[in-house]
Amino acid sequence: MITASTVLKLIAPYLSALVIILITVILAWVVSLVIGRLVRQSSPQMAGAARRLGVVVVALIGGTLALQALGVSPGILLLVIALLGVTILVALWAPLSNYGSKYFSDIYTPFKVGDTIKVQGYTGKVIEINPMTTILLSDEEQLISIPNVAMIRDVVVNMSPQAWKEVVIPISLAGNVDLPAFESDLRKSLAKLRLRLDRRFPPVLTTKSRTAQSTELTLIVMLRRPEDRDAVTLEVNKRLTEVLEQARGAKR
Amino acid sequence: MAPLSLCINTQTPLIQFLNPPEAGLRDSSYGGPTGLLGLREGVDYRFSPGGVTRMVYPLVRRLLEKGVLEEAHWVAFNPRGPRTVRMGKMTLHNVSIETERMSGYGKVKEAIWGRIHEIDAAEPHNDLFWSEAFSEYAYYNRITAELIRSLDDELDFDVFYVHDFQQLAVGQMLGTLKPKIFRWHIPFDATVIPEQWRALLKAYLDSYDVIVVSARKYAASLAGLDPDAKILRLYPYVDPGDYSRPSQERIAAVSERFGIAPQDEVALVVGRMDPIKGQDRAIKAFSSIAGEFPALKLVLVGNGSFSGSKSGLGLSKSAVWRAHLEEMVKTAALENRVVFAGHLLQEDLDCMYERCKFTILPSVREGFGLVAVESWLHGKPAIITQRSGIAELVRDGMNGLLYDPDDAGALASQMRALLGPGSGRLRARLARNGRTTSKKCFLDAAEKAEGKLLAEVTEAAVTEA
Repeated sequence: MITASTVLKLIAPYLSALVIILITVILAWVVSLVIGRLVRQSSPQMAGAARRLGVVVVALIGGTLALQALGVSPGILLLVIALLGVTILVALWAPLSNYGSKYFSDIYTPFKVGDTIKVQGYTGKVIEINPMTTILLSDEEQLISIPNVAMIRDVVVNMSPQAWKEVVIPISLAGNVDLPAFESDLRKSLAKLRLRLDRRFPPVLTTKSRTAQSTELTLIVMLRRPEDRDAVTLEVNKRLTEVLEQARGAKR
Repeated sequence: MAPLSLCINTQTPLIQFLNPPEAGLRDSSYGGPTGLLGLREGVDYRFSPGGVTRMVYPLVRRLLEKGVLEEAHWVAFNPRGPRTVRMGKMTLHNVSIETERMSGYGKVKEAIWGRIHEIDAAEPHNDLFWSEAFSEYAYYNRITAELIRSLDDELDFDVFYVHDFQQLAVGQMLGTLKPKIFRWHIPFDATVIPEQWRALLKAYLDSYDVIVVSARKYAASLAGLDPDAKILRLYPYVDPGDYSRPSQERIAAVSERFGIAPQDEVALVVGRMDPIKGQDRAIKAFSSIAGEFPALKLVLVGNGSFSGSKSGLGLSKSAVWRAHLEEMVKTAALENRVVFAGHLLQEDLDCMYERCKFTILPSVREGFGLVAVESWLHGKPAIITQRSGIAELVRDGMNGLLYDPDDAGALASQMRALLGPGSGRLRARLARNGRTTSKKCFLDAAEKAEGKLLAEVTEAAVTEA
């Protein structure tokens, strides 16, 4: 005969797993929020990545504990994940390092399509930055393909006039964010920094690509003095994050 | 060349809706293949008078008729209009922004207008592009660009034709690789543009494949500011078919309506009520010769612009300007000699052109000055400000009379030349030669030039691709 205690014993592991998952979800949300606060002066791309990483770590720990509650050995699970990770890293090391470098160079390397740069002894105009390589066009009309990893590892010289003035910040907007309102609010916010920026060059927001899910934009602001670069970049990122949060809260 | 699908963008809409839309209508569409079904012209809507739309509409109509265009989609600011209006092969798409954003947009628009026309030298608006108002200007342009982009996703246009400075940022915001043409309708003189404006202006202009201006001097000045730009000079145009020769009875009736007696002589100024149109200069010149020519009357035709109307931005500058002019007239004790006719229907305007002895284009600065062409079409001589695009088509004393708007006595002197004894031969010569000149600004000429431009930009896009 099935008694209440038998039923309880039967569903107890599932209940435990459910509770762990719920706690994990809440914890992931809190961690994402805390990381967001801690890195609010980083670029929105980096802040987003840090938040995602935090959430994934919490989810992995929570998931492992939930599986353990269900009787699955966490050792085997962790071993499978680790082996899978190592296999992916070994097999895709070169493209992954280029892709990763592209991600970081987008945010931290001061050049953009149209600039003339010198890297690894090659000089040319940047005509494309794809996930694997940065393509230069030399004066002799030769195409030079530089792996993105070189942009992080090697010295890159931006030879474009007034390149020091430019702060280029990539922005990724969800497809349902009201772009006109976002731009309007961003302009209002950045106008407060105008004493630190070159008055001849108001911020320019360019649409790089667009899908139903997201809009990739580039924000360019121009500095007034080179020594302000770090401080202005931090402040622009902070303001950008605030406007982004506001825009996400007021989706169309 | 295969017929093209064209997207036009202007601030002023082709059709202005006179009444607020009924509940729910704002989000709906009017029409069918035959036009504005169920709506009455003059009651529910009217065609925008003058300005950019007056010029662009006949051309689009003609290019559709001739098969150069397969279809045209016209995106414009029209807060009172429904979302779309079908007019045969043309579809009008109306943009609206929140009322609270309109004033910021309007401020920027007026500031650019004022600076380019040198209206208020004391306020150069150097930091305009950093102002809060500019964020609303950008908002309006972005809203417009987003609408055009979504239409393009659906309809796959061949080419975009953006008109005038109010829409300048649209090209950059569109972010499309397809050909984009921008027509700069107002004067262009790089020397009056503040240093702080130039970089952004150039960035916006560079987003277009071709920039069209209305005079050679504007093209030269623009090339100085933006050496990379491909610039084309095309004269603005009118469709002579839109102008009628009214009967003597009708002319007499319209004259009587405005208190113009048969023995009166009329000097006519046609232009919206705006300081830039220089009606004050015409009044000053008129008052200085009024005693010499007691039969002369000055008739001012024109109202506010779309921007000043309730169906537009609701800016009140036209009313303020008219009050100022009325005060000037009162001070000069010329109330019985100066007529404020307001906006006239085309047929009544034709009567006034026929009734006048000559016309005056007294603008402080004028992008082109099609009213001089209208004057020539009616066989009337025109006195034309040197600071207008059309001045480059005028040889003083041959097909028109030019004057320097800063020379207080110059306009009065030219008016005297057309009124004094023996002036009949001069008037006849100016009218005859003026009519010949006017053909350079006819729709036929524009059809060829604009058709060629469309073919070139679209072919170039195909070749480059």
